Amino acid sequence: MTETISETKEQTALGVPWNVIVHNDPVNLMSYVTLVFKRVFGYPTEKAEKHMMEVHRLGRSILWTGERERAELYVQQLHSHLLLATMERANY
Amino acid sequence: MHFSYDPAGSFVIHGVEGPLQQILAAIPLAAQAGESVPARDRLFPEPATGKDAAEISEEWREYVQPGLRHLFEEAVVTVAADLKQMEGGGETLTIVRQNIDAWLNTLNQARLVLAARFNVTEADMDGPASHLLTSDRDFALFQIYFYGALQEFMIQGIDEG
Repeated sequence: MTETISETKEQTALGVPWNVIVHNDPVNLMSYVTLVFKRVFGYPTEKAEKHMMEVHRLGRSILWTGERERAELYVQQLHSHLLLATMERANY
Repeated sequence: MHFSYDPAGSFVIHGVEGPLQQILAAIPLAAQAGESVPARDRLFPEPATGKDAAEISEEWREYVQPGLRHLFEEAVVTVAADLKQMEGGGETLTIVRQNIDAWLNTLNQARLVLAARFNVTEADMDGPASHLLTSDRDFALFQIYFYGALQEFMIQGIDEG
């Protein structure tokens, strides 16, 4: 019984999705941030601009949610473009 | 000074004279974080928050950051090579299409490093640029604005292309 509960908890933890979040900084240009969102996530201009404005106005925006490996890849790509990006478990 | 894209997709800066040549020539040096901890932290930010952050950060420093460092250094080398066109007083700088991403990256590195070194705030970026460059900070702010304008023109060309 105990083993069953442990396994269930582990599976749940592994299955928890991760958020990819971009944070505001005072230096990056709005046009540059929009361009990076289009390139990294393949978002159309309108969606990229919506997220860019969310970053600008609210200080952060969740760009993507999904499995950890993909989230790490997106954060790596965002860092390669010098954006402030982090990943965190979606249930935080 | 003015900018254009030629038919091959190269970004061309025309009429680069005197002080503007110096400001462009300063890009590679401005992009170096050196020993500045705030600048290095800004170029290589933490990748995660939450209870897994420490573990992810450790792996990140070992496996991801070396690749990012190499990418940033390569971009600076590309820009430095292009800037040699202005040696001897050349007033036109042509950036071929395949080098534009390296330029966008290096200009961003320079802007972020300068901002971190001189503790540039949102208010600094929203306010008018000083016309009197009486301190290193004034000059850094001018560089940040100028490099930002270059980025903006380059991005417009990319969007149009």
